[in-house]
Amino acid sequence: MRRTPVYIICSPRPLVGKTLIARLLSEFLLLKNGTVAPFDINLKEPSLLEYLPKITETAEVEDTFGKMSLMDRLIVNDGIAKVIDLGFHAFDEFFKMSEEIGFMKEAARRGVAPVILFVADTDRASARGYAMLEQHIPPTAFVTIDNEYVLRGELPAAFSHGRVLRIAALPVFLKTYIDRLTFSFTDYLRNEKDTSTELHQWIRKNYFSFRELELNLILQRL
Amino acid sequence: MAKPVVIVVGADKGGVGKTTVSRTLLDYFSANNVPTRAFDTESPRGTLKRFHPELTEIVDMTTTSDQMKIFDTLNAASPSVTVIDVRAGLLSPALASLRDIGFLDAAKSGQITFAVFHILGPSIASLDEIAETANFMQGAKYFLVKNFINNTSFFEWDQATYNSYFHRIKDATELTIPKLNEMAYEQVEVASVPFLKFVANKGINDDAANYSFVLRGYVRHWLANVWSEFDRIKLTDLVGTGKPARGEK
Repeated sequence: MRRTPVYIICSPRPLVGKTLIARLLSEFLLLKNGTVAPFDINLKEPSLLEYLPKITETAEVEDTFGKMSLMDRLIVNDGIAKVIDLGFHAFDEFFKMSEEIGFMKEAARRGVAPVILFVADTDRASARGYAMLEQHIPPTAFVTIDNEYVLRGELPAAFSHGRVLRIAALPVFLKTYIDRLTFSFTDYLRNEKDTSTELHQWIRKNYFSFRELELNLILQRL
Repeated sequence: MAKPVVIVVGADKGGVGKTTVSRTLLDYFSANNVPTRAFDTESPRGTLKRFHPELTEIVDMTTTSDQMKIFDTLNAASPSVTVIDVRAGLLSPALASLRDIGFLDAAKSGQITFAVFHILGPSIASLDEIAETANFMQGAKYFLVKNFINNTSFFEWDQATYNSYFHRIKDATELTIPKLNEMAYEQVEVASVPFLKFVANKGINDDAANYSFVLRGYVRHWLANVWSEFDRIKLTDLVGTGKPARGEK
């Protein structure tokens, strides 16, 4: 049976590119499946809701009501992929709660496949967050994001134990271009006739990485 | 044949979580396949009976006929453990009644296993209760339960004062019931089912229910912590069943 993926994009640090990855992944899944359910738990940073307002729902994990309305949706095997843009302020609470309520085990039982996409940074909080997740998340469901724009070099060895997904850095003028609230990656692919542009290739490469991630999931390797 | 076991859960103060502890005990014995029956002394309207109707009978412990109903049936071949949820304010009188009918002597001579779960409140009055209850505790296993489920703060007690009371009772064992998320607790109350059924997403008649996954998770986590306390005090050894493999259930 097909499992419903739940992608949780997270980092205990602000401004490491979580929302960018959530946007890219949401647009990829929307293009491929025709449907996706993104959740924004990142309201204190530049937010997914601002980029994809028509499909994004807001959620919070600060109180039990918020946790219930989010997690009771995530645990359903309805075939609709979920993307969680998890803000740095909610990182500890979300995983503490997940551990307490047995989210990973129950998800496996119900045919839901959580995939943790951890955006690495070089500071101590990231190292601690990574170590904590490594203890609680099975390696098959744990992917480290090496965002070149943040790390500016080699991924520190401490983060490279498992699967790594690389996001290349864009030149500043292109970064500014994609940061516009009205910009859509899929629309750009559809409308830009010149497939040799750097941005075109960057989007295609990332969509290809996500496709591989999905394939791994289908093959039950994740 | 195993000795009959009587567990009294009580406190002289109301609202400290006696029934909650009784419910966790019934769930624990049920998970460990220990045949159990329960008596709820909150006559005429029993809270424990609402959660465990098949196991529980409501009794008035102050009447001779109901005392007979509980203690004259201990040697019957059926359930090996009897849990008595004693109404607020009745613990000391109930223990006095047990002494008067010779039950405490039977426990002392080893004919019956007798345990008291004394649920403590946050006030100094609870310490006086310990002293009062201690007089009846020869031959019984005495457990002092600090119940944090309703966010009780025990730091109001001076530790030295507490120890002076606590150490008066030989072999008393301390037990901690951790806090449960308020909303999860409330949902179980509303559902009126045992904690185990709530975790398993089942209704009163074992029908499929639709409780929140998050709240069920909180209850499961909390119940596991409570049961690890029961494991720590070797409760199954006390009732003479050893430790069965709960995972096989």
